[in-house]
Amino acid sequence: MQGGSSGIGYGLKYQARCISDVKADTDYTSFLTGTLSLKEENEVHLLRLSSGGSELICEGLFSHPNEIWDLASCPFDQRIFSTVFSTGESYGAAIWQIPELYGQLNSPQLERVASLDAHVGKINCVLWWPSGRCDKLISMDEQNIFLWSLDCSNKSAEVLSKDSAGMLHSLSGGAWDPHDVNAVAATGESSVQFWDLRTMKKVNSIERAHVRGVDYNPKREHILITAEDESGIHVWDLRKAKAPVQELPGHTHWTWAVKCNPEYDGLILSAGTDSAVNLWYASASSTNNKAPESPVESTRERVNLLLNSYTDYEDSVYGLAWSSREPWVFASLSYDGRVVIESVKPFLPRL
Amino acid sequence: MATEAAPMDEKAKRMRDLLSSFYTPDPSISTPTSSISTSFDNINGPSFDADQYMDLMIKKSNLDVLLQRHVQMAAEIKNLDTDLQMLVYENYNKFISATDTIKRMKSNIFGMEGNMDQLLHKIMSVQSRSDGVNTSLFEKREHIEKLHRTRNLLRKVQQFIYDLPARLQKCIKSEAYGDAVRFYTGAMPILKVYGDTSFKDCRRASEEAIETIIKNLQTKLFSDSESIQARAEAAVLLKQLDVPVDSLKDKLLEKLEQSLDGLQINPDEASKLAEHNVSSKDEESNNQGPAKIHEDAVRGFSEAMRAYREIFPDSEERLFKLARALTTTHFENMELYIRKRVSAADFLGIFRIIWEDVVLMDEVLPEAALSDLSAEAAQVTLKQFVARTFSHLQQDISDTLLKFDINQKEVVDGEVLKVVLEASGKAEFRQLLDENTGIFVKMNDLLIGWIQKGFQDFFRSLESHFLVLSGKTSSSNETEGLVEGKSSEKIHAGLILVLAQLSVVIEQKVIPRIAEEITASFSGGNSQAFIPGELCRVFHAASEKLLQHYIDTRTQKISNVLRKRFKTPNWVKHKEPREVHMYVDMLLQQLEEVGKEVKQILPQGTFRKHKRSDSNGSNTTTSSRSTTLHSDKMARSNSQRARSQLFETHLAKLFKQKVEIFTKVEFTQESVVTTTVKLCLKSLQEYVRLQTFNRSGFQQIQLDIQFLKAPLKETVEDEAAIDFLLDEVIVAASERCLDVTPLEPPILDKLIQAKLAKSKEHNNNNNKTTVSS
Repeated sequence: MQGGSSGIGYGLKYQARCISDVKADTDYTSFLTGTLSLKEENEVHLLRLSSGGSELICEGLFSHPNEIWDLASCPFDQRIFSTVFSTGESYGAAIWQIPELYGQLNSPQLERVASLDAHVGKINCVLWWPSGRCDKLISMDEQNIFLWSLDCSNKSAEVLSKDSAGMLHSLSGGAWDPHDVNAVAATGESSVQFWDLRTMKKVNSIERAHVRGVDYNPKREHILITAEDESGIHVWDLRKAKAPVQELPGHTHWTWAVKCNPEYDGLILSAGTDSAVNLWYASASSTNNKAPESPVESTRERVNLLLNSYTDYEDSVYGLAWSSREPWVFASLSYDGRVVIESVKPFLPRL
Repeated sequence: MATEAAPMDEKAKRMRDLLSSFYTPDPSISTPTSSISTSFDNINGPSFDADQYMDLMIKKSNLDVLLQRHVQMAAEIKNLDTDLQMLVYENYNKFISATDTIKRMKSNIFGMEGNMDQLLHKIMSVQSRSDGVNTSLFEKREHIEKLHRTRNLLRKVQQFIYDLPARLQKCIKSEAYGDAVRFYTGAMPILKVYGDTSFKDCRRASEEAIETIIKNLQTKLFSDSESIQARAEAAVLLKQLDVPVDSLKDKLLEKLEQSLDGLQINPDEASKLAEHNVSSKDEESNNQGPAKIHEDAVRGFSEAMRAYREIFPDSEERLFKLARALTTTHFENMELYIRKRVSAADFLGIFRIIWEDVVLMDEVLPEAALSDLSAEAAQVTLKQFVARTFSHLQQDISDTLLKFDINQKEVVDGEVLKVVLEASGKAEFRQLLDENTGIFVKMNDLLIGWIQKGFQDFFRSLESHFLVLSGKTSSSNETEGLVEGKSSEKIHAGLILVLAQLSVVIEQKVIPRIAEEITASFSGGNSQAFIPGELCRVFHAASEKLLQHYIDTRTQKISNVLRKRFKTPNWVKHKEPREVHMYVDMLLQQLEEVGKEVKQILPQGTFRKHKRSDSNGSNTTTSSRSTTLHSDKMARSNSQRARSQLFETHLAKLFKQKVEIFTKVEFTQESVVTTTVKLCLKSLQEYVRLQTFNRSGFQQIQLDIQFLKAPLKETVEDEAAIDFLLDEVIVAASERCLDVTPLEPPILDKLIQAKLAKSKEHNNNNNKTTVSS
C-alpha cells in the first residue's frame, strides 16, 4: 500500500495487458494502452500526463477491432504504433496511425498503415527499431521471427527475412538490442535465444526455462535482464552467458515483465502476478564483482536491492513502461484495466 | 737452766727486734704482736709507760724481785749498749767502703763518652759495608739459584722424554689415550725444538706411537659401536693432537643429520604412535610401544647434540640448524598427518610427542630458540587443525545430506546427526583447550580466538554450502555455475526442505548451544569472533530463502504440468467435456508428494490445528456463499452475461474481503502446503488468462476446478483463500470464453462422481497389484 497515495490512476473500461511509452512525443509524457476484451469493442487510449504531473488525461480514444495482446509505439512518429491482436481464434498484427486532428473528430478511426500478415500461429510481439528513424520492424510468432521493412507513405510492409525457431521453442516475446541493432533476443520455452539480423540466424542462447520478460540495459552494453516465472529476475552479461551476474528475488508469484530505466543505469522495474510492481536497484558495481563476497553481505545487499514495492493493485500487473521523457516516471497496468503512473523519485538512493 | 736459756734467747730476740726497728722507719709493722700481748709489761712496746710500769712493779713485786729485776735490767742495758756500738761500727765500715767504691767509679766513668761515640761510628760503617756486599752479590746468587732449579727441571724433563716412547707404548696397550695425548702434547714443544739433537730417536719413537694413537682414535671416532661419549672424547683428543677436526666434525654432523630421518614421525605411522601413546598411558606395562622407542631415539639424539656441542663449540650453528630442521619436519609431517581425518586425541598425542622432543632438544640447545620456533609452527599447525576439523565437520554434514538425497525415502534424521556432530566438534575443541602442554597454555587465547572464528566461518560457509546444495546460489556463482547448474537439476526438492529445516534448527538450537558452550569453555579470548546474533540472522535468512526455494521448485514442477496442459490443446476448438482431465490427478499427486515431504520434515503447527477446525465450521458458510453467488452468476450469465460480468466480478470482489493470497510462509506443514497450493492455483489462473476458450473448453475448466475443490480443501488450512482462488480461475476462464455456458450442476456432479469412482477403482487396482506382487 506504500505507493497508493503517490500514484495517479486511470481506469480503462475493460481488462488490459499492454501499455507503451510514446517515445516520439517530446512535448508530453504520454502512454498508449489497449484493452483486452474478447467480446466487447476494444479501445486504444492515448494518455497524457498533465504538465503538473498530477493528472492523467485521456488525450485520445480510438476503437480497435480486436482484443490487443501487444502494443508498441513507434520510436520516431508519435502517431504510429503497432498492435498484436486476436479474434479469439486467430491472431494478427498491424501498424496503425492515429489520424491527424483526432481531437476534433467525433469518433476518430485508426488508420491501418500496414498488416504484418505473414504469420500463421499465435503472434507474440512486434518490436520497433530501437531508436532513431528506421523503417525496420520485427514480429514474432511462436515459431518464427520476421524482419519487416515498413513503408509508411505507401502504407505497406514487406518481409525482408525470416527464420524459424523450430517447433519446440515456442517463442513468447523479445527485445531488440539498443547497442547492437543487429541483435535481437527472443524468449522461448526453455531458453533465451539471440538472432543476428544480418544473417537471420540464431547465434547464441541462454538456457533458462520459462522466461516471461526480457529487456536490454540501454545504458550498458551486453547486459540483459530476464524475468522468470518462479525464479525471479536475473541479470546477464551476454559475454558470459553461462551464469547470471546477479539475481533478484522477483515476485511472490510469477515475475511477468521487467524494464530497465532508460536513463539511470541499474534501475529496474518488475511487474508480477502477485499484484505488485517492484523497483530494484542493481548497481553497476554489484553486478561486476560481488559474487565472491560472503553470503551475509550478499543477503544484506539483496535486501537493499529492493527500493520499493508498489502493491496497490487489485490484479496481476502485466503492463509496464518507463517514460523516456521523464525517466523517473513509469506507467503500470494491471489486468483489471487500471493504469497507475508512479514516480520513483522518493525511492532513489542517490540520483 | 732451761728456763734460763729461754729468756736468754728471748732476750737476744728482743734485741734484734729492737735493732731492726731502729732501722725500719715504720714501727707498726713489727710491733703488733708484742704490743697486744704485753700492753703494760712490754718495755719494748711503743705505748710503754714507764711510770705506770714502775707503779705496777712496785705494787706487785717484793724487793727481791725488784732487785732481781733491776740487775736484769741493768745487764740488758749494758748488752744493748754494746750491741749498738757494734752496729754503728759495722755500718761505718760499710759506709767508708762505699764511699771508696763511688770514688773509683767516678774516675772510671770519665772518658767513656768519647769511646762510645767512636764505637757508634764504627758500627755504622760496618753496616753500610755489609749492605754493599749483600747487594752486589744478590743477582748472582739469584741466578745461581735459578740455574740450579732449571737444572733440576731439565733433569726431570730429560728423564720424561727419554721415557716418553715407552710410556706411550704403555698407554696404547692400556688404551689410556687421554694420558698418552697429555704426555705427548707436553713433550711436543721440546721435541719440536730439540728434536734434531739428542732426542732424535726419542722423538721418532714417540711420533710413531702417537700416529698409532691417532689412528686408533679415528677408528674409535667413526665406529658406531662406541658410545657417543667415547667418541666425543676421541674427538677432543684428536683435536688436541692438531689433527684437522673440521672434516671429522662435518662427517659426524652428516651422520647426525642422517639419523634425523629416523627420528621423523612418519605420517602413516603417526596414528599408530598416537594410539600407542594413549594406550601406554592407560596401561603402564605397555612401554615398548613405538612412542617409547621414538622418545628414546630423540633422547639419544639430544644427547649426541649435547656431546657435539661440547666437543665442537663452533658447531652450534649447525646443531641449531639440525634441531630446527627436526622441529620443522616434525611439524610438516604433522601437517601431512592432519590432512587426513584425525581425532583431537590423536592430534594431541602427536603434538605431545613433538612437544616432548622439542623440550628435550631445548634443554640441550637453549639458544636455538626451539620453543619459539615450535610455538610458531605449532600455531600454524593448530590453526590448520582447527580449520580442518571444521571443514571435516562440514564435509560430514554434506555427506549425510547427500546420502539422504540418494535414498530419499528413508528420511535420515539430519537434526540428530547434526547435533551429534556439533557435540563431537565441541568435545574435540574442548579437549584441545584442556591440554596443558606448555605450548597450549601460551596459545590458549589465540586458540580460543581461532575456535570462535572457526565457528563463525564454519556456520557462514555452512550456510553458503546449504545454498549451493540447494542449487539456489549456483547460478550466481560464475565459477561453479556450469557444474552446479547441471547438478541443480537433479537436486531433490526434499533435500531443499531438509536444508531449510536444518537451518531453522541451527538458528534456534545449535547456535545458542554453541554460544553457550563458547561462553562456558572458550571465553576469555580477546577477540569476540563468534557472533551468534549475526549467525542467527544469517541462518534465519537462509532458512526462509531455502523454504521459499523449496516452494519455488515444487510450484515450478506443477507449473510445468499446467503449462503442458494449457499449451497443448486448441481450446477454441475444444470438445465437450467427458470426464475430469488427467492433469488434475497429476496436480493432486504432486501436492500429495509435497504433503508427504512436508510431513516427514517439518513440524506440525499445533495451534494451527485448532484454528483449522474453527475455520472448518465458519468456512462452510463462506463456501456456500461463494457457490450460491457463483451459481447465481451462472444462471444469469446466459442473458446479459458478458457486459455485466466484469462489473459483477468487481462487485463480488468488493464485497468479499480481499483475500490475502500471498502470506508469509511459516515453518509448519500446513503453511507450506497452503502456500504451494495457493501459488499453483494462481498459476492456473494465469495460464487460463492466456487462453481463449469455447464453450466446451470453459466447461472442461469448470469441471476440473469443481473436482479439485474437495481434495484441495482437505489438504489446506486456509479454505477461504482456496475458494477464492478456485473461483478466480473460473472467472478468468469465463472472461476468456467466447460463449459462457456453464455445465448444469447435475451433469457436473455425475462427471465428478464418475471420476471419483474411477480413481477409487484405480486405487483398488493398484492395491491389488501391490498385494499380488
